[in-house]
Amino acid sequence: MFKTVKSKILAIAVTILAFLMLASLCHVYFARMNTKQLMVQNYKFSITASPFIQDIKSRIVSTEDNLKSLSLIGSLYYKTDRSNDLTDRVITRIFENYPQTLGGGIWFKPYILDKSKKYVCFYAFRDKNNKIVIDRNFESEKYDYPNQEWYKQIISQVTPERNIVWSKPYYENQGSYTTMITAGTGIYVDGELVGIVTVDWELDSVIDEVSKMKPLEKTFSMYKKGNEIKNSFVLFGNVKDDYVIATNDPYLDNDAVSGHSLKEIPWYTNANHLYNTTYITYHNKKYIPFVNKLKNGMVVIICLPKSGMFRIVDKFYIILILAMLGIALLIPALLYYSLNHYIINPIDKLTEFAHKIGKGEDIQIKIEKPEEFAQLASTFDKMTKDIKSITQERAKLNSELSIAKSIQASSLPNVFPPFPERKEFDIYASMEPAKEVGGDFYDFFFIDETKFMFLIADVSGKGVPAALFMMTVKTLINNVSQMNYSPKQLIEIINNKICQTNKQGLFVTVLMGITDINTGETSIINCGHNLPLIKRHNGKYEYMQLQSNIALGVFEDSDFEIYETTLNPGDLIYTYTDGVTEAINDNNEVFGEERLCDCLNNINNTIPSEIAQNVKNSIKEYTNSNIQSDDITMLIYKYNGLSDNIKTFKQTAIQENYNKFYNWLHSTCKEWNINEELTNKLDMCAEEIFANVSFYAYPPKTGDIESILTLKEDCIIFEFKDEGLEYNPLEKPDPDIDLPPEKRPIGGLGIYMVKQMADSIFYKREKNQNILTMVFKI
Amino acid sequence: MEVTIKRIGLDGLHVSAAGRLDLDNAVEYGSKIKDFIEDSEEQITEVTLDFTEITFISSFGLKVILELYKQLKDQNGSIKLKNVPEQIKNSFKMVGFDKFLVFE
Repeated sequence: MFKTVKSKILAIAVTILAFLMLASLCHVYFARMNTKQLMVQNYKFSITASPFIQDIKSRIVSTEDNLKSLSLIGSLYYKTDRSNDLTDRVITRIFENYPQTLGGGIWFKPYILDKSKKYVCFYAFRDKNNKIVIDRNFESEKYDYPNQEWYKQIISQVTPERNIVWSKPYYENQGSYTTMITAGTGIYVDGELVGIVTVDWELDSVIDEVSKMKPLEKTFSMYKKGNEIKNSFVLFGNVKDDYVIATNDPYLDNDAVSGHSLKEIPWYTNANHLYNTTYITYHNKKYIPFVNKLKNGMVVIICLPKSGMFRIVDKFYIILILAMLGIALLIPALLYYSLNHYIINPIDKLTEFAHKIGKGEDIQIKIEKPEEFAQLASTFDKMTKDIKSITQERAKLNSELSIAKSIQASSLPNVFPPFPERKEFDIYASMEPAKEVGGDFYDFFFIDETKFMFLIADVSGKGVPAALFMMTVKTLINNVSQMNYSPKQLIEIINNKICQTNKQGLFVTVLMGITDINTGETSIINCGHNLPLIKRHNGKYEYMQLQSNIALGVFEDSDFEIYETTLNPGDLIYTYTDGVTEAINDNNEVFGEERLCDCLNNINNTIPSEIAQNVKNSIKEYTNSNIQSDDITMLIYKYNGLSDNIKTFKQTAIQENYNKFYNWLHSTCKEWNINEELTNKLDMCAEEIFANVSFYAYPPKTGDIESILTLKEDCIIFEFKDEGLEYNPLEKPDPDIDLPPEKRPIGGLGIYMVKQMADSIFYKREKNQNILTMVFKI
Repeated sequence: MEVTIKRIGLDGLHVSAAGRLDLDNAVEYGSKIKDFIEDSEEQITEVTLDFTEITFISSFGLKVILELYKQLKDQNGSIKLKNVPEQIKNSFKMVGFDKFLVFE
């Protein structure tokens, strides 16, 4: 999980978003709370300003005014003018000024004007046609207004300060037959209460208005049609006198509670308390009460259902939250898309390209957008090209190095026997180069007719510099040696010349032998090289105890000790480089000098090439699978001395002489005690070569054929020379001896048989001569 | 080279010779047998070459034997080698003739 860049970035983004969302939600929550509080304030203002409240307020004010006017008229009547007509007219005029007033009147205390007249009152009301009528019927024993409840209530509460007193709602059963409440105040003349004045409120219309009212309709601009707050209700009452005037509480019967104590309203506690209450719970629903205190304990409480009030706000916030959620989902989606499109896809593309290029496909990377990836792609492309060219260069260098290696190897004499005509000695050398171009080399050549020089050397360092140095040294030794110096002079000159040409501080260890092939007198010079082994005829191999000189190329004008010895026929010198003794096995142990000596002594053979092969096999066996770290080089010189075991036959190459030739061959073999099998082999090879030369070498003329037989300790060397057309029989392809007889050609068998029978066979063209040399082991 | 050729039965031939089958003698040896077969009135199908006294065979001798084998094969005949010395047998083996020649 989260292993890819994509998932990591997405995870981080989602986490950040979640935090942001949480923060936003908190913010929204508090904002909503604030909004609600603001809204509550707003509602409060709206309600205070609502027509209903204003209407009631103005009615109360006008009622007060009305009462004051009436009270003035009443006191005037009492004091001075007791004209009923005038008073009626004045009252009518006053009532015209208060269109909201249903009715009202002036009521004097019984007998206060006239001891004989108990009832004096003026009452005016609006009839159905809204005409103001003065009703005299209330001055009767029957009605007996001083005993009416409203009268008693009002007169008992009035004070000289002309306070307004309100009666409880009551049912009027004299004329109007309606539920009413009556406001009243006293008529004081010189501080004496003489009567009261009243103004009636026909309550039915108020109750009707209350019951129908939607408190916030047309008041709150935010609440357009359809957004009214439903289920709101109103309580109109008097807290001072503790009674309900009207309510449209849906759970109560208005008529039943009207005029009753406010305590009968279930949710009502007291106005002050309600004023500070945030909400009430009524029938499992939350309402916010808005208390409007009017004059004289009058109060209008409007309860708005909480849910309805904030519906629009909640709606708004729900939309807001949904929008935020939407954005919260959209952002990761956009991020996911952008990541894929701008980062992941280009990376995938690059990866795919890299795979293809890795497989060797030759393609060009193309990404155009985004710019960074386009740049990366072009860098990638350049890198691919660079790698390609570097690889090509390296391959070229490698092939050049391998060419250098083969040039180096081929610069060493590698045809054996190198001097088959020289019977006085045998020499064999081999170099198995390590993987790198190394610095081992060997060389041998005649300095003059009888002096033969052989050497083995190891140049310090490896690689191309060592190889180049080696070539220089080899050429230098060869050139200087031809100048007929004494061995001591020779090595000193060589050393000085190497010192002069060697600016890189390379040096070379050399083991050099200069031997007279007639006498066996030999000078051996060891310049810092591994000690050679010598095997005297019929003796064992042992290390030659030579004085070691400094390696060549170290110091100019160095002094060199020369070791002089005489070799007898059968003596053998084995020289090598440290690649032999320092070959490493699986346990990191070197082959070593002791093991080399033992190995040589276990070889019951004195043929140089066989000795070399044996040692190589032993080393291979010892090192097992270890990679050869250094060149393995050896040179073996065997001295035979002068010998008369050489027979020569020279005649014209014609078939007529064949008889003579094989007679010569057979008599030689007999003389040398060659066994029948080997004689037979020599016979078969001899016939083939003789026939070849006589048939094909000199057409249409004839020429000579020379055959030399040399008997050695362990082999016979059989050599043919002719001066005919150049022809190397070894180049002839071998016949397929597995073919069925019908398909086999008649010819081509002879040279194949020769190759099979000879242990080794060489051809060279020298001085217009074809020279074919065969070696047969005894 | 002296080559003795005897008839055996109607279609048989017994060839014996002494000495070397080499550059000097092989061709002679071969042509004598060939001539005999061609001169014969009867169809020769079975030739036995007696090698008892043959001391040496070279590539020329081998060539002649191969030619003889092919000639007889064309005539639905066969060739048999008798008393071949080990050394000569090795020469046959070297060139793969032992795969089709019958030794007795």
